[in-house]
Amino acid sequence: MKRALVWLAAVAGAAVSVIPFYWMVVAATHDDGELFASPPPFLPGGELMSNLVALESTIHFSRVMATSLWTAVVYTALSALVSAMCGYGLAKYRFRGRGLLLGTVLATMMIPFQVLLVPLFQMMASVGWVDSYQAIIVPFLANSFGIFLMRQAFLDFPDELLESGRLDGAGDLRIFYGIVLPCVRPQLGALVIFTFMAQWNAFIWPLLMLNSEERFTVPVALNHLIGLSHVDYAGLMLGAFLATLPLTLVFLLFQRQFVSGLLGGALKG
Amino acid sequence: MVKKVHVIVGVALVGCLTTSGCAAGGVPAKDTPKITPSTGGALSGEIKIWSWDVAAKALRRMAPEFEKANPGVKVQVVDIGYDNAYDKITVGLKSNSGLPDVITLEDGRIPGYAENFPHGLVDLSGVAGKYRADFDQAKWAAATSGGKLFALPWDSAPVGLFYRRDLFKQAGVDAGSIITWDDAIKAGEKVKQATGKRLFVSDLTNPDMFTTLLQQLGQGYFKGGRVAVSSPAAVRALTLLKTLRDKDLLQNERGWDGMVTATKQGKAATQPTAAWWTGTLTGEMPELSGKFGVVPLPAFDADGVRTSANGGSALAITSQTRNQNTAWAFVEWLLARKDNQVSMMRTEALFPAYLPALTDPLFDQSQPYFGGQRVNRLFADEVRDIPPVELTGDDAQAREVLKTAVSGVLLDGDDPKTALDRAAARIASATGRPVGG
Repeated sequence: MKRALVWLAAVAGAAVSVIPFYWMVVAATHDDGELFASPPPFLPGGELMSNLVALESTIHFSRVMATSLWTAVVYTALSALVSAMCGYGLAKYRFRGRGLLLGTVLATMMIPFQVLLVPLFQMMASVGWVDSYQAIIVPFLANSFGIFLMRQAFLDFPDELLESGRLDGAGDLRIFYGIVLPCVRPQLGALVIFTFMAQWNAFIWPLLMLNSEERFTVPVALNHLIGLSHVDYAGLMLGAFLATLPLTLVFLLFQRQFVSGLLGGALKG
Repeated sequence: MVKKVHVIVGVALVGCLTTSGCAAGGVPAKDTPKITPSTGGALSGEIKIWSWDVAAKALRRMAPEFEKANPGVKVQVVDIGYDNAYDKITVGLKSNSGLPDVITLEDGRIPGYAENFPHGLVDLSGVAGKYRADFDQAKWAAATSGGKLFALPWDSAPVGLFYRRDLFKQAGVDAGSIITWDDAIKAGEKVKQATGKRLFVSDLTNPDMFTTLLQQLGQGYFKGGRVAVSSPAAVRALTLLKTLRDKDLLQNERGWDGMVTATKQGKAATQPTAAWWTGTLTGEMPELSGKFGVVPLPAFDADGVRTSANGGSALAITSQTRNQNTAWAFVEWLLARKDNQVSMMRTEALFPAYLPALTDPLFDQSQPYFGGQRVNRLFADEVRDIPPVELTGDDAQAREVLKTAVSGVLLDGDDPKTALDRAAARIASATGRPVGG
């Protein structure tokens, strides 16, 4: 009986999370007219190709996806590196003002982004970065959440290992890349999933920064389908559906890393 | 550490004070920059324009013609999308950087920008003043703030009453006989009895229909700078909506999507809305071709105004432009010329706010979608009658307060006068403006 209730709850939870996604697939394969019919369609339709062609011609979807992909990959790689290095420094090095520095990093997490928008925009404008790729990558490389996450990961790392590395004559960089980093793969995997998702879904900043259509990212370009007197729902849904694919891929890829890292640690311990 | 910060701020301040512009600091200049009339000579340089939707399409199509007529000039049109356009524009104005030479603004947005960023947009009155009589007066008033003209009107949005010919026929009602809102209510009751359809679709949680009716009565939220949402005209407008609601003649649907869906599904017999609705009808519901007709908006009194406005845009020149002359030349060429306005009506269905364009034979063509009716002539004749109203930078705030008042009356049965009195008091305390007018 209790088991049945748990099952029921699980099924209900699954339905709640799957139905919107299913509707996205359904909507992506119908034309706008069919979507507003009553009753609305319940099965995927046959307009996938024509919607795809329309999406490509209205917002150059393939180019937009490519832009989003490479900027998100570059950002994720760089920002993960910066987070790991800063976190390592804050966790394992003793220097004056370390506590203050950590406090500052944590404090910046609490500043709402809306407050930063205008000053950051002015900074970008004064260095001539408006409408450039670096403007959507560089300002957020030092990601306070990532630094904090990595610092916590490094805190538990045994100092003895570092010392033995040093005794064997390894330099700081060698120790970092050769010994420390491989051990925090699970946390790094989690960070990569998180930062990739954040950059992939980033909307307001790229919207403000990017002015040329050839530099648009997916969320900014999809936003163009919402017009004054017409909303291209089929295009929106198809675009949103395709935009979830890279996210799923990244998740699957790094989730394995994430889980295997956790299990590996368990066995070794 | 603390001392250092002081020094840096001090240096920055001095730097700002000594250089007049201070681009990075965003310190507002005292006066609205005025455009200096061109001293003649050929135009040159590149200008950038932000727009969206069909307006961007129109600009893209027209720009090459302007470039051809003015060798050496380049016009670059950027479609920034409608949904978050104002986020971009506001940040650009606030930080005094990153804006193009020309931006598109909807009428309702102009007063807010003019009041909050008096240095952000160029005052066009010096060069555009001569066109004053040639434009839709309501739109000219919307673009004017404190005696300065902040944008040149582009497209008008005269409001009429769209109706379903088939439903009216079924009920035996002649739409042409509707003169006043009282007639409309009677017709609505008859149609509902015969077909089960309500009179029109309205989102009862937002005050847009109330605003349209209020403009029909010649008034905005403010009058002479004073809060006027509890004026007799405002009470009259809201009472009409309440009467319609009490007789169950309003089809309550949420937002834009609700209105489109309900219209497509034929849930209402009429729709009081602007000329651009024809684009939505022909685009989203081609299968309903031949079923719609248009009559002028029912009046409050037998000899009252039979239209209002709902939407429409204008072009503004930002003070960040480095090429004022070319920017103005393009705006003037595009909007204050009959042939270009007619061309944008023909291709993009942008209804001209430039009155001379409205005499073009294009407006006399019969529209197959509307059962052969010459609907554009009807709307064109209404443009001159749109009552100008006072728009202010506080309208957005007032609208928020009115949401509660309007939905309270229409959904919870509050008394219109009481609800509007309360709203007026709240708007007064929020904006610091006195009630009255």
